[in-house]
Amino acid sequence: MTPTTTITTGTTLELPRRWRVPGWGACLLVAIIAECAYFTLTTRQFAGGGEGMLNLTEQFAPTGILALGLAMVILTGNIDLSCAANASLAAVIAGTVLSKGGSPAVAILAAVAVATFVGLFNGVIVAFVGIDSLLVTLATQFIITSVATSVAGASPPFGFPSSFTLLGQSGIDYIPIALLIFLVIALAVIVTIGYTGLGRSLTLIGYNPRAARYSGIAIRRSLTSVFTLCGALSGVAGVLLAAYYNSAQPDIGTDLLLPGITAVILGGMDIFGGRGRIGEVVLAVFVLGYMSQGMLIEGDSSLSITMITGLVLIGALVVKFAFERNFRQRMSARMLRLRTPWNRTPLPRDADG
Amino acid sequence: MTTARNVEAASAARRELSVPPRWSWLLRRREILVTAVIVIVVAGSTAAHPYFWASTNLAFIFADSVVIAFLALGESFVMIGRGIDLSVGAIMGLSAIFVGFRIQNDGMTLLPAVLLGAGVGIVLGLGNAILVGVIRLPPIIATLGTLSVYSGLEFVITNGNQVDTIPNSFTNLGSDTVVPGVPIILLLTLPFVLIAAWVLRYTAFGRSIYAVGDDAEAAYRAGISVQRVLFSTYVISGLFAGLGGVAYLIYTSGADSTTGINDNLTAIAAAIIGGTALTGGVGGAFGALVGSVFLTVTLTAMSFAHVSDVWQPAGVGVLVLLAVVYDSRARAAGGGRLGARRQRRRQLRRRAGSTGQPTGATGQSAGSTGQPTGATGQPAGGGAS
Repeated sequence: MTPTTTITTGTTLELPRRWRVPGWGACLLVAIIAECAYFTLTTRQFAGGGEGMLNLTEQFAPTGILALGLAMVILTGNIDLSCAANASLAAVIAGTVLSKGGSPAVAILAAVAVATFVGLFNGVIVAFVGIDSLLVTLATQFIITSVATSVAGASPPFGFPSSFTLLGQSGIDYIPIALLIFLVIALAVIVTIGYTGLGRSLTLIGYNPRAARYSGIAIRRSLTSVFTLCGALSGVAGVLLAAYYNSAQPDIGTDLLLPGITAVILGGMDIFGGRGRIGEVVLAVFVLGYMSQGMLIEGDSSLSITMITGLVLIGALVVKFAFERNFRQRMSARMLRLRTPWNRTPLPRDADG
Repeated sequence: MTTARNVEAASAARRELSVPPRWSWLLRRREILVTAVIVIVVAGSTAAHPYFWASTNLAFIFADSVVIAFLALGESFVMIGRGIDLSVGAIMGLSAIFVGFRIQNDGMTLLPAVLLGAGVGIVLGLGNAILVGVIRLPPIIATLGTLSVYSGLEFVITNGNQVDTIPNSFTNLGSDTVVPGVPIILLLTLPFVLIAAWVLRYTAFGRSIYAVGDDAEAAYRAGISVQRVLFSTYVISGLFAGLGGVAYLIYTSGADSTTGINDNLTAIAAAIIGGTALTGGVGGAFGALVGSVFLTVTLTAMSFAHVSDVWQPAGVGVLVLLAVVYDSRARAAGGGRLGARRQRRRQLRRRAGSTGQPTGATGQSAGSTGQPTGATGQPAGGGAS
């Protein structure tokens, strides 16, 4: 005989609410303000009468757009390592079309279309062949890099018409166009994730793929679309990069991957999917962006900034996880007590007899 | 009676899972399969370009693959335990810089150099180990963070200088051959591979890495200290990456602030080609070596075939994709996280009418709430299929 245990079904079992560091977004906001204040006090050039601070956003708007695409993918519990290479490819395509005499509109369309196609390719392989996204995008990252280098050729295109470069270099009334594009896309992503069916299914897929499947969500279609969207956003980021630097090196976007992922994680997105808010990712983009730009102005090298970025990432995570783990341990201990009364009353020795 | 039912179900399961053709184990051992492909590639390239078989070329290939092999060896330990270490390349670079400066300035000899490299690797690996094993951050983020930190550290330490005068006593190890085509460094590497293989296959510690990688909760319930095992895998990964730094010095006779930053993904690729799965629980030390040799041989063959160097990364990418598509274990069902094998196991467990209900309340899996163990005892997930 096996001992059977019954549980009093009368107990209303209150499921734990998903818990987060209270006001993570508020913390990020405070961090932005503190940073800006610090750099304004220490370096004369940082604030530039308010206008300078806005102009700095031109430099990290592409990273932010990339991070938004990544955030959606990470929300489903997947990852896209190829997005930075994809941005480089888009930049190279745009540059090549422009240098062949194409109009800026055609160049932008071609670049975004190619990047979207790459995203679609990733999505189809992840969703329909069912290989882990880390592996797929690891492989496509290598492949895209080769394609970009090959398209760019020995002398990558540079010196684009001003109607194209104004995308990355000029603004409307002090507000850089790149920042506007970033904010518009951010708004669109927030609405998509928070208020549409696609967004809800993406969140559920990340939270619990099995439950998503059994509740009739078209997992494959949703995954394909999220990777395609990420590809499209990488394309936009690549176009902005090409416009900002006025050239299209085949490794122009490679350095965006690390800060992109860092922004997503710092923005409170759970790497295992299902939790996180896009709005906080947007704030994290500003935190990281202002930090690195401020340090650059102060004269630090970009590699030591990479180091600081890594330290910030680890520090933020340690704090966040410490909070969450305490809570989860308490919670799961309570759940255990509720569910397994034999923890307190030891089994009779001869139960099997 | 439950026992009878279990036996019945188990034998049914065994019938279903039984492996047909007799020769198929050859294809199932990834090391053997990859070795066969290496032989084919080498034979084909030699037929087209006789110089491919020249002793210097082969020695060059081996010396190159030894560097990746060290990284892939450490990575295998981590990946078998179902983790990932994105910082091995940066650890290798730091070790190469530390050791290189000591060799260049203080005239260090080989044995102390190897020891110093290993020490640097262990210390840096400890950083990962603490983040993953003690603080329990998800490995992919933790090692991404340390990748940033370590590669920044490379830059800070070198301060614009570089290692460029490594004495011949070192570099000869990579170019001098014992038998034609086999450089000394390959012979020096083999003991490390053998030790790693022995640890993985025949020690309790090695087996517990597989157990943790296959199913951490089962391992925990079997009395394995999961966090301690994970902790050690990251230290080991750092150790091998540190040794890889010394191998890098021998192979390239120099190091600078960007050494190894791009080698992380290559190391993972080599491990995957060698049969180690990201989903944990499978793989081995020989696979890492064979995978690295395969990568180098194929890339060299590509440049012999006059494929532009530009396409070398694409070659790596295609090989990784092929290796993964070939490996049905890595395929998940329905695009979700649940591997096909795992689902199969669940099916079997269900069919066997398992007696012990999973309580599902481990520290990490807040996601698997649900199924309050009622009297009916059907797992909540047991729907269709």
